Amino acid sequence: MARRRKSQAGSLALRYAILIAWALFCIMPIIWFLTIGLRPRTEIVLPRPLYIPTLSLDAWNMIWTAWPMGAYLRNSLLAIFGSVVIDLLLAIPAAYSLARYKYRFREDIGFYILSTRMMAPAIVAIPIFFLFKTMGLLDSIWALMLIYAAMNLSLVTWIVRSYMLDIPPEIEDAARTDGASDMRILVSIIVPMCLPGIITAGVIAVIFAINEFLFTLLIASTQNAYTLSVALANFTGGSDGVIYNAIAMVAFIAFVPVLLLVVAIQKHLSRGLTMGAVKG
Amino acid sequence: MAEAIATHLGRAAVAARSPLRRRSPFQRKAFPYLLVAPAVIYLLGITFYPGLYAIYQSLFRVRFNSWTFIGLDNYTKLLGDHEFWASLWNTFIMGSGALLLEFVIALTLAALAYRDPWIKSWRILFLLPMLFMPSAVSFIWKLAFNDGRVVSDLLMRIGMIDRPLDFLGNIWLARLSLIITDVWQWTPFLFIIFVAALQGQDAEIEEAARLDGARWSQIFWNVSLPMLRPIIAVALVLRGIDIVTMFTSIFIITGGTPGGATETMSYFIYRTGFKRFDFGYASAASVLLLALTVIIAQSFVKRFFRSGRED
Repeated sequence: MARRRKSQAGSLALRYAILIAWALFCIMPIIWFLTIGLRPRTEIVLPRPLYIPTLSLDAWNMIWTAWPMGAYLRNSLLAIFGSVVIDLLLAIPAAYSLARYKYRFREDIGFYILSTRMMAPAIVAIPIFFLFKTMGLLDSIWALMLIYAAMNLSLVTWIVRSYMLDIPPEIEDAARTDGASDMRILVSIIVPMCLPGIITAGVIAVIFAINEFLFTLLIASTQNAYTLSVALANFTGGSDGVIYNAIAMVAFIAFVPVLLLVVAIQKHLSRGLTMGAVKG
Repeated sequence: MAEAIATHLGRAAVAARSPLRRRSPFQRKAFPYLLVAPAVIYLLGITFYPGLYAIYQSLFRVRFNSWTFIGLDNYTKLLGDHEFWASLWNTFIMGSGALLLEFVIALTLAALAYRDPWIKSWRILFLLPMLFMPSAVSFIWKLAFNDGRVVSDLLMRIGMIDRPLDFLGNIWLARLSLIITDVWQWTPFLFIIFVAALQGQDAEIEEAARLDGARWSQIFWNVSLPMLRPIIAVALVLRGIDIVTMFTSIFIITGGTPGGATETMSYFIYRTGFKRFDFGYASAASVLLLALTVIIAQSFVKRFFRSGRED
């Protein structure tokens, strides 16, 4: 009995050792990168790394004076917000159709929408580039908005659909017998009832849009359309190389709102990330 | 069972009352299609059209604005191009390495943490790397491995190496650097899903096994894990797809070096199209990648996602 208790204590210690080790692996690079953002540029690339730097707000001043940070923020916000609005307008009716009606090709349509999630950006990058070029949309946030919306439409549709399936059909049936039209039922019953799903889908779409890199890289060429994600890659000072403290500062500026959004939808996160397949 | 039949009958009765009775039969039939049509048209525009365009363009030699029809020459050239095969191999080796590591680590951590009283804290802590932009994460690790020599310095301090390692100059170290970057950022993705799935399982079954005297490791292997299998599959498919399209970290950290050893298919297409402006050739590579994706999507996706109402 005593031996068993001892081995249990041992396995408990081992469990915490592993969990704490991974937690450190997650956090230490972040803290270290934060110190990069708060140190002068002269203390970054050295023969031996410096772990306790001089505190400095150089990077903060630099991003607002040396670069059009305001434009980058505006582009990111508008493109992302616009894309999520497009997604919700298209996805909510589509999700309702997939969740509540029976018709021919429903399965195929559902899987087609899902399969666009599998499309590698690189496959469509060249045609999309030419398409936007013909339309005169290169280097504009409109192009970014359209492409982010397309990229996230499948997951928004599937997440919302999953939440709609949870609503008992009896509620709609009751409204129908009271004479409400299908459109009315969707807008004033279904949408309010699956609001958590809609918000979850929106947040996940926002995160993927902030992260997007390849399309933005191809579409944007000036501050007209540079977003935070791609602007980072341009924080280089000619012969001086990569300006890491500015990059770190911008990385944290983008990190804070994402953290807040994710904490807000924490309970729904796993369901959102699996497009509704896991009910967390 | 009886309950299921009852709801079924209930639904049928409601359907018989015909909610759409004020509309013509055509309107009634068309309504669900009309709801789903805008989304489908939008997606067709952004996937089907580009797909066709890529196939068409792949039959030409494109030099700026002059297109010369060359039939399947791009494809035959591609099949003999060792850079293309190398990119396929690199994608496979780095992708499977990263996916395997992420899977093993996430499952281990999830198994250790999901019944822990501090699970909420672990979740937030482990989640943090995923909340940075991939471009930012790439710079973190580029600085750590190469420009700032932090990893070398730490390894030297604990006495594992004598001289700094040239992480991005060596084929395997460069690949390993990219794998670690991916593992650091995306293990949380799998961890979050696995924890949710483990917490969502029926606790009574575990409890019964425990009362029968099974140890927790036995319970995990023989009871929890089999129940988790479908969710593991979904999570791995989603992560696998993103890994196959790996681009940002390659672009920022290695640019495909050393000697093309870290060039993935996505990066190959990007470089051929937008650095060498050989758009026809790049399109041919896109079409082959598309074919590969369709095969993967067809064979995996339908099995793991269920469509429609579960009735």
